[in-house]
Amino acid sequence: MNRKKHRREKPDAVVQRLMNIVGEREVFYLKEDLISYECDGYTMSKGMPKAVVFVKSTEHVSAVVRCLNEEKIPYIARGAGTGLSGGATPLGGEVIISLVRMKRMLHLDLENRKAVVEPGFINLKLTQSISDKGYYYAPDPSSQYACTIGGNVAENSGGAHCLKYGVTTNHILGLEVVLPNGEVIEIGEEGIPDQPGYDLLGLLTGSEGTLGIVTKITVKVLKNPEGKKTVLAYYDDINDASQAVSEIIAAGIIPAALEMMDSIAIEGVESAAYPVGHPRDIAAFLLIEVDGIAAGIDDQIDEILTVCKHNNVREVKVAKDEAERGLWWANRKMGFGAMGAISPDYLVQDGVIPRTRLPEVLGKIAEISKKYELRIANIFHAGDGNLHPLILFDASIPGQSERAAKAGSECLKVCADVGGSITGEHGVGIEKSAEMRFIFSDAEMTAQTNIRAVFNPEDLLNPGKLFPQPGQCVEIKQAGQGDRSTVPVNAMGRGD
Amino acid sequence: MIASYLDGILPKEQIRINDELRHPLGNGGLQLIEANSEEDISKVLAFAYSHNKTVNVISGGTKRGFGGENERADILLSLANYKGIVEHSVGDLTMTVKPGTTLKEITDELHKHGQRVALDASWPELATIGGIIAANDSGPKRLLYGSARDLVIGTRIVYPDGNVVRTGGKVVKNVAGYDMNKLFIGSMGTLGIISEITIKLRPLPKYEGLSLLQFPIGKEQDIREFSIKILDSMAEPVSLEILNPSIAEKMTGNRQDTLAISFEDREKAVLDQENWVETHLPFGGEHVVLHEEDARQWWEKFRHFGPNGYHDTESEADTQAALKVGSNNLDVLVNMVAADNLAAEHHVAVEAHGGIGHGISRIYVKGLPEDIVSYTRALRDKVKEKSGYVVCTHLPFILREAVGVWGEKPGYFALLEGIKRTNDPKNILNRNRFVGGI
Ligand SMILES: Cc1cc2nc3c(=O)[nH]c(=O)nc-3n(C[C@H](O)[C@H](O)[C@H](O)COP(=O)(O)OP(=O)(O)OC[C@H]3O[C@@H](n4cnc5c(N)ncnc54)[C@H](O)[C@@H]3O)c2cc1C
Repeated sequence: MNRKKHRREKPDAVVQRLMNIVGEREVFYLKEDLISYECDGYTMSKGMPKAVVFVKSTEHVSAVVRCLNEEKIPYIARGAGTGLSGGATPLGGEVIISLVRMKRMLHLDLENRKAVVEPGFINLKLTQSISDKGYYYAPDPSSQYACTIGGNVAENSGGAHCLKYGVTTNHILGLEVVLPNGEVIEIGEEGIPDQPGYDLLGLLTGSEGTLGIVTKITVKVLKNPEGKKTVLAYYDDINDASQAVSEIIAAGIIPAALEMMDSIAIEGVESAAYPVGHPRDIAAFLLIEVDGIAAGIDDQIDEILTVCKHNNVREVKVAKDEAERGLWWANRKMGFGAMGAISPDYLVQDGVIPRTRLPEVLGKIAEISKKYELRIANIFHAGDGNLHPLILFDASIPGQSERAAKAGSECLKVCADVGGSITGEHGVGIEKSAEMRFIFSDAEMTAQTNIRAVFNPEDLLNPGKLFPQPGQCVEIKQAGQGDRSTVPVNAMGRGD
Repeated sequence: MIASYLDGILPKEQIRINDELRHPLGNGGLQLIEANSEEDISKVLAFAYSHNKTVNVISGGTKRGFGGENERADILLSLANYKGIVEHSVGDLTMTVKPGTTLKEITDELHKHGQRVALDASWPELATIGGIIAANDSGPKRLLYGSARDLVIGTRIVYPDGNVVRTGGKVVKNVAGYDMNKLFIGSMGTLGIISEITIKLRPLPKYEGLSLLQFPIGKEQDIREFSIKILDSMAEPVSLEILNPSIAEKMTGNRQDTLAISFEDREKAVLDQENWVETHLPFGGEHVVLHEEDARQWWEKFRHFGPNGYHDTESEADTQAALKVGSNNLDVLVNMVAADNLAAEHHVAVEAHGGIGHGISRIYVKGLPEDIVSYTRALRDKVKEKSGYVVCTHLPFILREAVGVWGEKPGYFALLEGIKRTNDPKNILNRNRFVGGI
């Protein structure tokens, strides 16, 4: 952080109060400092915060929240800002409370299989800091090298391996939370399960930072599986690949991961940093991983190979060593970022469908692509029906951003219409708030906003997110080329 | 006589006066109404809401002894007839089911397709899925498969005013809006009536094995060391349940501390893990292995311990209670010892088991009412020393107030009250059934 800049503006009274709490250097309020907080990984909507406050402790968070409450100024918690739905994006005038400096591991108790971390602790760091003892933290969003566990809790993030191991909510044992009135509560004390009372742990996880600010997290850690094998299967017909997915599940196998990519996505990852040498003329590939007790893995791999062959696979192979497996995964995890190599801009969608409807939904997405004259790449967690259509566009061509947003929304409609959901892991945020209407009635959303009012009665904490705003229509602010430095998706050059 | 105010809400044959006014477990109602559909539930609640009538909800009745400081409400609404599978999407491994369906009915149906709901709660032929979820019941295998909160992906809820609200959805991964499913799991029906449940399924295991490890009395330290070792090994046990000597005697014939370690996987993987157990056997420990049908039958029997709402006797000396203890995983062992030691001190008989890998223990107590009260208090004090809690999942009505079903209110009780008030502003549903009198 460069604090040597010449100050042109004086802090106003509110900023001064915040400085009194956390220290002068820990508050940004100048426009040039605030620019990179205009949005998160979703760049189609931007707003200027009033200030950014870097807190170091729960007491800081509580004092800042109390102050902003008195001043009636809205505020937003922010982790790494990798969110893909605009959750940490200001609509204008909010104070951002950045938790990146609260990044310590506070406690590790492997015998009871839990760890306590501060919210700014980076996801991947957790696994790295316990892997020498044979343990890991299961939820593995592709942004895991950057995103924070606090952000993961807020979004209830998933990852490639949540097919077998579950998403964030299945791994959270306890939370310390600063409520919007500044009060500090502890739920799931010491990580002991099933505490008497309504399941606030479950309610807060995935609440997109609208019910409270998480300041401490107790997570479950798992033992590394003894064995692991990875299969790559190339298909000439995407329907065959989809059918193979269904048959693997029907065979009673629960792979650790079961991922699919279509030809446009493959074009992207092959042009990016970790090319594998996938044939360019295939329709799709499946990346399948099985883990667990080593003695039981070969049988499962044999069955998977049989299923693949039975479904007209062109070529199928098992990773020969850790290096090859690592390359396949790096290539796959590049997914989003790799789109930058084949398109100036892209919009990531996040629909979920019953996995058996895959072929039908892919057909409809192809129609949407045709209708809007935009290429759509498909990357998905096929095993649990979580699709990531990536809509490729060029924001510098007038009208394309709007068309991309509409195409994205239509993809979600298709998912909703087959009994699915508009988001599997990226959250609603700003982006999909209008689309909430695809799956919930007004009464159902009111039931939810009523619960919000219990925690956040004045709606000062992250207002305007998650639920459709009165009279809302799709509004797009141009993500101009010049802003590219503030686009975390491209900046990080990796994606899921 | 049927109260005239109920006239015309539902057909007469679904309403009758409740002749069981003084049920020993309370949680009754003056008028018994049978719901056969969601619409029935909705009509009854809409009526009750607008006429300020209180409603208790019952299905299988196995949890009638769980919470509740009012002997009866105006209406006892039974969902026992509202049962059946709405949809089983075999390829998606999901199922939508009505709340009055028993766990056994679900299990039998799924079995035909090689699938199951991974919930091994007690009394499966009596307990309904709605009740299991509302009470958040679980069994030893939650160690690997999780509990209701990990399995339920969607519900339909009839709110106290009669409106129906859907929560979650029908897909296995979903973060749209708040995870409202969670509010209703374990809420003891105080926020709304669950009228439909969509749940994630698992394939039946290809092979299953059960390792029973019997330890001479007084070898707690050995059990602890062995447990730490297996949890830190390559093994992936589905259960790591410690049985106290009295429950072990009924299960195995031997009055010894016993570990029940389940493995479910490919045959080779199961055998490999059993082999690990065999080669790491502590000195003096005895290892008995059961496979497939034998293992399944053993667990089947295991699920029939503890009170089930139908076995409470008239005899005071045989008063029954069931306690759910939550603790840090390894403190389960400490609590097991405490449960047995305190039993002797307080003149009660105790059968107990607990999951060393998941932190939930179940303690079934029999004795005189006053001894049950003093036992529970003493155990609660002991468990609290290590931040644990004790909830009484079964107690006769007359003892509930004295013992305190839920223990102390949590520090954030105001939020729980706020949620209750939001969903049920007139406080008509299962009043006083939950934490802090909610
Ligand atoms: C390249 C790329 C790949 C991705 N891959 C995946 C993936 O595989 N799976 C997946 O699920 N997501 C993925 N994401 C999305 C994103 O990384 C996750 O949503 C992540 O959890 C966000 O964490 P963050 O720290 O960046 O949170 P932020 O973006 O800073 O914040 C996200 C939301 O959480 C709130 N918040 C943050 N911290 C707190 C706190 N302590 N208390 C309360 N609220 C808080 C914010 O207000 C905001 O609403 C990806 C993103 C990118 C850019």
